[in-house]
Amino acid sequence: MKTSAKRSLSRLAGQYSYILVFVAIFLVWALTSSSLTWSGVMNIFRHSAVIGVLALGMGLVCLTGEIDLSVGSILAIDAGLSVVVFNATGSILLTLVFALAAGAVLGVVNGVLVGIVEMPAFIVTLATMLIYRSLAQYLCQHLPKELIGGGSSVYKMDTELAAYQPFYGFGNGKIATLPLVGLVLLALTVVFVYLSTSTKFGKKVYAIGSNQKGARLAGIHVSLMKTAVFVLCGLLVGLGAFLWIAMNGSADPATTGSSYEMYVIASVVLGGISMAGGKGRCLGVLFGAMSYTIIDKIIVALKMDSLINDAIKGVILILVILIQVAGPRVRKSCWNIKN
Amino acid sequence: MTVQESEAAGIAFVHQELNLFNDLTVAENLFLTREPVNRWGRIDKKRIHREAAALFDSMGVEMDPAEMVGRLKTSQKQLLEIAKALWGKAKLIILDEPTTALNTREVDHLFAILRRLKEQNGTSFLFISHKMPEVFAFADRYTVLSNGRFIAAGAIADTTPEKITEQMVGHPAGQGAQYSPRPTGDTVLEVKDLTGPGFADVSLTAQKGEIIGLTGLQGSGSSEWMQAVFGALPVQCGTVTVFGKAVKPGSIHRAMAAGIAMLPGNRKENSVIPDLNLMDNLSLAEQTLSARNFPIHKKTERKIFNHYKEILHIKARGPQDAITSLSGGNQQKVFLARWLNTGAGILLLDNPTQGIDVGAKEEIYALILELAAQGKTILLNTLEIPELQKVADRCAVFYEGRLVRMLPHAEINEHTVMLWSTGASLAKEEQPS
Repeated sequence: MKTSAKRSLSRLAGQYSYILVFVAIFLVWALTSSSLTWSGVMNIFRHSAVIGVLALGMGLVCLTGEIDLSVGSILAIDAGLSVVVFNATGSILLTLVFALAAGAVLGVVNGVLVGIVEMPAFIVTLATMLIYRSLAQYLCQHLPKELIGGGSSVYKMDTELAAYQPFYGFGNGKIATLPLVGLVLLALTVVFVYLSTSTKFGKKVYAIGSNQKGARLAGIHVSLMKTAVFVLCGLLVGLGAFLWIAMNGSADPATTGSSYEMYVIASVVLGGISMAGGKGRCLGVLFGAMSYTIIDKIIVALKMDSLINDAIKGVILILVILIQVAGPRVRKSCWNIKN
Repeated sequence: MTVQESEAAGIAFVHQELNLFNDLTVAENLFLTREPVNRWGRIDKKRIHREAAALFDSMGVEMDPAEMVGRLKTSQKQLLEIAKALWGKAKLIILDEPTTALNTREVDHLFAILRRLKEQNGTSFLFISHKMPEVFAFADRYTVLSNGRFIAAGAIADTTPEKITEQMVGHPAGQGAQYSPRPTGDTVLEVKDLTGPGFADVSLTAQKGEIIGLTGLQGSGSSEWMQAVFGALPVQCGTVTVFGKAVKPGSIHRAMAAGIAMLPGNRKENSVIPDLNLMDNLSLAEQTLSARNFPIHKKTERKIFNHYKEILHIKARGPQDAITSLSGGNQQKVFLARWLNTGAGILLLDNPTQGIDVGAKEEIYALILELAAQGKTILLNTLEIPELQKVADRCAVFYEGRLVRMLPHAEINEHTVMLWSTGASLAKEEQPS
């Protein structure tokens, strides 16, 4: 009885390891940082918004066993062009519609090439990553100056427009001390947890990632489903771009979303989703994204050189996956010795 | 003990699932990890080809050492696996159901080779099989295991196939499926001149409540034809009419919507979704049909699962169990339930008893008869003629991609089927008398 309880406890710990990771990193932050206040915690939430939204889409892509390396570049070009649309129209709604539509269209490109043409996702999205990033930078140089809000190499929102203040306010505002953009992430997480666990769409995503051939023979339209998942991912990047410009008021085509594909994939993996597909939960992605934001904060709190940032993130990623991969093996061999 | 250690001790294992590399040649597969090298560390290709050819010669097998393994027939791959075991000069060879992918003639050939090895080299064999005739043709002694427990052991000479089957199943044999003619209804499936990869101009009609066997040697096209009717393989020409309505071939979803279901062969590769639990595995096909109705109703699903668990006697603890925790027979029942749950009137079963134990086999055949009695139309593709004798009303024999003969129930026997499926009867028919 006792051992079975122990066993189920350890299984639970394995299933929800992303929460353990989050708590551990959070505790390190709490100990090292002097800014352990409610607003400090909420700040983490706010800074996780864009990565988190991207990671939800990537989570679905990874569940089907594919990968999308282009999310960072889509974020850059989508955010840049959304700034242009905002400057041209002065409408928040039109900017939102454009950001979502542009993200979805760029997702369709990935989706069709991977899902229908059946090219390897790694190669396709590697190529689109290069294309979109380059286009974002090129257009920034060659579009009319008034559209990109000045003469520099950054897409800047026109602060004179009447809609600017409410827009910026949305990106930086709070409801009862809760940051608005964080609430958007929370709401989306709820939607994606529901989508992945309680709908036929979600079930099909898992089935494809688990056994593509078997899924096809069970009647699942694998190519369409894969396309749909990439479009959904693009759509979420579009939303991420909208949040980004609302929070920052500008988008730098060279640095916006740069290396985000790596952070997003790392969040997905930290969140317990298997890159081979079929395994993991969308809830983990939220914790994965927040864990990564906290690591940033810890480095700031410790007054370390920010250039060490990625090294620490990389090491933590390896450690966590080491525990996930090696943990069950160690547990198993312990069992064998005991019995 | 590691694989290397057991190999060094003279034990070789021929797995049920083939462990060959399709992108290497026959000789490269044979010598993998023990390639002879020349002075410069380069693999001595000439030598491995020469030695492979010599080995095949001694086995009486015709195989080109330079052929890519991916292009071999399944039966040839099986022989290559065995050759691999022999090359290591093993003293004990463990064969795990080596005959599931072979037809009767190939099985005879394999046994001839194994017998010669036994007599010439004194090699011992551990032969794992569900097939009584093979056990009795080949083995000297036997051990019966059931559900992981030891049941009985002894000399083959002192027992009978019936006795062993009884020990395996746990109850006297012969209570299972028995054929009796059933009334059949209207035509529900009409396939005309279907041509595609591996088959040409195959027409077939099936009535409501009918069980039609499909058989032929490996690669005869019967399985491919079945997959094409289900929309899983592309079709060049031909028409499929289901319940009076034309169904454009080439889409699984269309075939499913029209009322066709297919239990594919090679369960592990084509049916098992390892990361989904039992309940989700069971409901998957129905859910793809009803995908427009977005949310999943877990309560209903659980009810459906318990329903099928009961009527199909699926041995499992609960709906959340992993599909991979079940035995092959129980897995197959879950997948049968997957398709019954779609409400399809036409069931295509591709080698449904592959790799499952005698007890579950009996149950599946009893179930097939029961489903036909309920008005389902069943097309059953299998290499096992005794099974067809038990259930099939008619049997379509395929030879080189064509349906060469439709045998009525009375004519279904090993001899007749073999004559047609090897083309022997065909040759005779074509000769002027």
